[in-house]
Amino acid sequence: MPELPELNPVIHGKLRLAVLSLLSSAEEAEFTWLRAKTGSTDGNLGAQLAKLEEAGYVTVTKQFVQRKPQTLYRMTEVGRAALSEYVQALKTLLGAAMEE
Amino acid sequence: MQEEMSGQDLKERFALIETMIAEGRRSTESWGWVFVLWGVAYFVAIAWASWSGGLSVWGHHSVQVGSMYSGLAWPVTMFSGAALTLWIGLRRGGRHPGTVIGRAVTSVWIGIGASMLVLFPALSAAGRLDEHSFVALVAAMLGAANAGSGLILRWKMQMACALVWWMAAVAACFGTVSQVTVVFLVAVFVCQIAFGVYTMMRESRRQRGCVVHA
Repeated sequence: MPELPELNPVIHGKLRLAVLSLLSSAEEAEFTWLRAKTGSTDGNLGAQLAKLEEAGYVTVTKQFVQRKPQTLYRMTEVGRAALSEYVQALKTLLGAAMEE
Repeated sequence: MQEEMSGQDLKERFALIETMIAEGRRSTESWGWVFVLWGVAYFVAIAWASWSGGLSVWGHHSVQVGSMYSGLAWPVTMFSGAALTLWIGLRRGGRHPGTVIGRAVTSVWIGIGASMLVLFPALSAAGRLDEHSFVALVAAMLGAANAGSGLILRWKMQMACALVWWMAAVAACFGTVSQVTVVFLVAVFVCQIAFGVYTMMRESRRQRGCVVHA
């Protein structure tokens, strides 16, 4: 029997997975938009985004628009590849679970 | 890690990925307010222009009409609508992500909107615009914009709006001016006001219902 793949622990957290999935279809997104879409709190979302940034999966840009601060997040190529690998691993595991 | 996960957990992860990807692509639905704003702008323009001038008047009749300046109705409301949309859009824009689909839909509306703002003043100035052709052209162009947008978003409700506009375009070619005005008012109400309010309610419901825990 082939060895089952490991799921990437950085992506595996539900909120981090949700954020990466959102960013995979949006080119870039503001913090408040991510918060609204996930229904999470500022603190929790900020902490999870920091972990994704630390892993090199997202980049952050801070700017001012009409004198208001804006924090934009964008998925990196490394992040896109990691999400793709995670989905593949998930498929393999699901296939294995169905066979049991 | 996966030893602890059941098939149900794995399926939930898949469902979460699919839902969030779909959410990211659905940013255009937060533009319901634009439909309402333009619906109100059309009503104001129709009421103003019909007061003492004609539905299709775009500027050059203002002197003849006299005190009501009905010739200014369409230029003033349409350019004000465009300026207001731009202003509100820029203020709200930061809250929504940029997506390829969003850009495609915006391009369709900007293209059609700019065509209307260029074409109707020119046709009116040349004296080649009457009530029937005016409503038929506006309805056909809005039908095209809704169809383009609806096809990109695969949104049946917007495709239905396109059909309503196209039916209004055909209906506007027949009947009296009063009947054409009624057709226009009904189409504006259904495809701008009602559709815009429905879109805003849908967006609001979605934002309330989506909670992801870490």
